[in-house]
Amino acid sequence: MGNSGSKISSQDRAILDMKNQRDKLKQYQKKITVITNREKEIARVCLAKGEKDKALLALRRKKFQESLLSQTDAQLEQLEKLTSNVEFSLVQKDVVFGLQRGTEVLKMINKEMGGLAAVEKMMEEGAEARREQEEISEALAGQLSNQEEDEVEDELEALEIEMNGVSLPDAPNKTVITDGDLPNTPETELDREQKQKERAKQRRAQLQAA
Amino acid sequence: MAGVPQQQTDSFKFPKIHTDYPPFFTLQITASSRQAQLERWSRLVQRYCRHHKIFQLSIVDYQDKELFKNSKLNKTLFPDDIRKVIDHMVSQDGQQRAEWLTPAKASAWIWWRRPEEWALAIAAWVDDTGQKGSVLTLYEIVEGDATETQEFHAMDMDVLRKGLAVLAKQGKAQVFGTDDQQGVKFF
Repeated sequence: MGNSGSKISSQDRAILDMKNQRDKLKQYQKKITVITNREKEIARVCLAKGEKDKALLALRRKKFQESLLSQTDAQLEQLEKLTSNVEFSLVQKDVVFGLQRGTEVLKMINKEMGGLAAVEKMMEEGAEARREQEEISEALAGQLSNQEEDEVEDELEALEIEMNGVSLPDAPNKTVITDGDLPNTPETELDREQKQKERAKQRRAQLQAA
Repeated sequence: MAGVPQQQTDSFKFPKIHTDYPPFFTLQITASSRQAQLERWSRLVQRYCRHHKIFQLSIVDYQDKELFKNSKLNKTLFPDDIRKVIDHMVSQDGQQRAEWLTPAKASAWIWWRRPEEWALAIAAWVDDTGQKGSVLTLYEIVEGDATETQEFHAMDMDVLRKGLAVLAKQGKAQVFGTDDQQGVKFF
């Protein structure tokens, strides 16, 4: 306790003063309410006893106290408005302080990033690198290995034979069997190698043309 | 603890042991039954004080009141025995539910809530109502419209100060200002 706290600012003290003032007004209002009730009671008793003048006097006093009461109401309202304004301003001050800190941090981060030009340059470089990467991927995507490509073409040939049931152009001397299963054209190892080389050459030519 | 409905101020319902059992008003000699009896008195005093929001109990003021006197049975708990009940409440056995104001044992705080329990209730209310960082007068905590639904509404100022002192020790509040115009800031 005591007044030596560092956590209590002068604004806090000002707010406390205002709120104490408000409390005093409220206590004052309580007192007046008691008085007006008493005056009313007095008036009632006097009237019962037939003392009309005294009753009137009591009611006048009551009226006067009531006018004080409405005045204090107005003062109370003002005081409470002022207190609220001060409290709100304190909150605003905190908000502004927070914004200030945020801006500073943002500025610092921007500086660390090297400014707009550096970022733009970096973005450009990034885009370029990405483009290059895409081109490489594209080039690679259509490409199977030579061996795979051979297998694919072999399969195509076999399929053609199966569907057409015709003789192979590169094996003209074989007996043609028209109906059904055709035994696979026997291929020598040499033949196969020869073909592979041929096809690889063709593909290289295509690639260069493209 | 926020939102605890305010205690009604209408009549207190005494337990059967108080309304219909004369030996309750004579302290027993056997240690074990005496202990049990003191404990029941302690609970009754706490409940009664809570109901009527009594914080300080002066023996002179209460010795011939309904709490210690049953007119129907014509029985009274004598002041010396009231003192023994409160002594029990003060002790560890009685869970420190009372505290003598002076060594003369004329009146005592009745802790149906101990200051640290009040501190918890007030801290919870401050939290719930978003008043951390606000300055409040002690008067408005006790008498303000905003606390009307709280159990600490209309509480004893000194008990409030004790409760706030607990919060201050924990760094959750600071009391400042001059004597009768004190305020508190919550953190």
